[in-house]
Amino acid sequence: MTARLSLAPAAGALADAWSELRVHKLRVLLSLIGIAVAVGALTAVVALGELQRQVMAEQSDRYGGRIATIMVGASRDDGAPMDWDAMDARFERVAERYAFSRTSRIVDGAVTVPVQLPEGVTQLPSRLVDPDYAAMHRLTLLEGRWFVEGDTELLAPPVVISEALWDMIGRVPVAQHPTITMTGDLAGTYQVVGVTPRDGPWDTTPRVDLLYDTYRERLGAMPSDVAVMREIWVPPTIVDELGPVLAMDMRAGAEPGLTISVNRTDWGAQAGFADSALIFQLVTGAIAGIVLLLGALSLINIQLVAMRQRIREIGVRRSFGATSGRIFTSVFLESVVATTVAGAVGIVLVVLVMRSDWVIELMFPGIQDVPPFPFSAAITGLVASVIVGAIAGLIPALVALRVKVIDAIRF
Amino acid sequence: MTLVSLRGVAKQVLLPDDSRLDILHAVDLDVDAGDHVSIVGRSGSGKTTLLNILGLLDSPSAGEVQFGDESTLTMRAGRLDRMRGANVGFVFQQFNLLAGRTALENVAMPLSYASGALFWKRDALAAAMLDRVGLSHRLSSLPDRLSGGEQQRVAIARALVRSPRLILADEPTGALDVETGASVMSLLDEVASESGAALVTITHDLHVAARARRHYRLDAGVLQPVDLDHAFAASAHAERSVVVAEPGAPR
Repeated sequence: MTARLSLAPAAGALADAWSELRVHKLRVLLSLIGIAVAVGALTAVVALGELQRQVMAEQSDRYGGRIATIMVGASRDDGAPMDWDAMDARFERVAERYAFSRTSRIVDGAVTVPVQLPEGVTQLPSRLVDPDYAAMHRLTLLEGRWFVEGDTELLAPPVVISEALWDMIGRVPVAQHPTITMTGDLAGTYQVVGVTPRDGPWDTTPRVDLLYDTYRERLGAMPSDVAVMREIWVPPTIVDELGPVLAMDMRAGAEPGLTISVNRTDWGAQAGFADSALIFQLVTGAIAGIVLLLGALSLINIQLVAMRQRIREIGVRRSFGATSGRIFTSVFLESVVATTVAGAVGIVLVVLVMRSDWVIELMFPGIQDVPPFPFSAAITGLVASVIVGAIAGLIPALVALRVKVIDAIRF
Repeated sequence: MTLVSLRGVAKQVLLPDDSRLDILHAVDLDVDAGDHVSIVGRSGSGKTTLLNILGLLDSPSAGEVQFGDESTLTMRAGRLDRMRGANVGFVFQQFNLLAGRTALENVAMPLSYASGALFWKRDALAAAMLDRVGLSHRLSSLPDRLSGGEQQRVAIARALVRSPRLILADEPTGALDVETGASVMSLLDEVASESGAALVTITHDLHVAARARRHYRLDAGVLQPVDLDHAFAASAHAERSVVVAEPGAPR
């Protein structure tokens, strides 16, 4: 009972505020459209920021690897040919001590393969990788599968081709086992096991992804003039300590003239990435903030005008025992309740819009992991609407506080 | 038992030209629990100011107001507000119902400033009170859908819903025709005496004033007991002389 007793004034003030809003629906509605729009905009901005970050992260993952990716490269500065098998052996030796879960050798852009196409044999760019590459670069396929361990044992070695190349060979479904034929050192029939999607409409590169080991076996050894990189996916928590130690281990006992580089290549290591997402959010957030401010101004305006009509009502309430504090709270809460409701409406609308698949597709073509609507965005919107309500409610509430009861009831 | 007691209460206001206007002069008045007092007076005689002081809405410039056993002189504003809410019910000439609120919401309003059961059961209490004033079929009507008499009955229900010890009625029939006014006044008398509340009525209608047990006249800020029989006689004489004088009056 005592708890209920102490609740009465708060519950009463809230009930007063709600009833006032209910009675003046039109006035409230008009003043709140701006707030709902502004809060919706603010929420959308925060949510878009999150999505944008996700899209950028995914794009960066495709190029630089996921957080955290370390890349080990090697080169000779004495002109001697590079022995990549020796480098592999060196890495395997060092890696034994680390138990890396995923690593992949990569040769990207330096190798072309002669492929028999309808218009003749064409040198196509190729990417040589290990099976772990797909997981490390968040690669998904349009059709079929990626490489798996043991693919090198197959008589017709598997290849994964780009969508542009798939178009050139007539988009034969992977289930029907399409093949491509190569000539030269790589002569033979290769089974197409998967197709990588285009990065966008601009992506027209016909490309063949081959297993590193398949290529190496066909050629006998990796040519010394290509640059082979090795990527290692490591937990982000230990990447900073691991990098220097790994570099030291890899360089230990290296013959003169051999330079081994160890870098972090994922976007988490690049300050500019976070900055650009932040700038996007700040700019759009500032715009939403201005809209919110304008909404608040119009709300104050309308509330102040309405206050003149409510002086008699306040007088009547005061004469029936409402304390000035209670009147202040009611008028103040009225504004807070109103903007909170408006804000919630704005947030719900934005959530509904942003959850629809075609909006996501339209704004972020190719996004893979659509993150759930960010909770932080909804909370930001809600907090903003409460704050706006508090600011907009303070001035009319102060005016209400100054109403003289005896004058008000004679009005 | 004395409910409200005014001792030497005076009220002055400062006019815009810095001169002082005396509204009340050394008013002494005791209102007992269950008492029924009427105060008559011309417009501008200070009736409403006196009522405001009785209802703790205004404070006197001089003198003392005791409510119950307590002096209100040093009471803080919030305490006064709560005391007024719990003990005083107002009935205004212009009804002063809250626009846009149903009859039920209007009557429940004073209870929203109470606490405990009064607060949480406010709708049921308000409905019962409206039933008492014969408006149980009008619970969800808005004031502008009610007749003047109905509006004043809602106002009476509102004034009485918190079971106040003192009801202050400021020209309660001023906006009603004679017949409706009479029925509203009977209702007010009835429910006030049922609840044992003291009723102070301000009016310039002698018939309304006559319903009270004790009668006062406020003239230029001075409060004096009055014999209503004399007042009635004087008023009848005045009316007659107006009627007699009229035919000969220049046009």
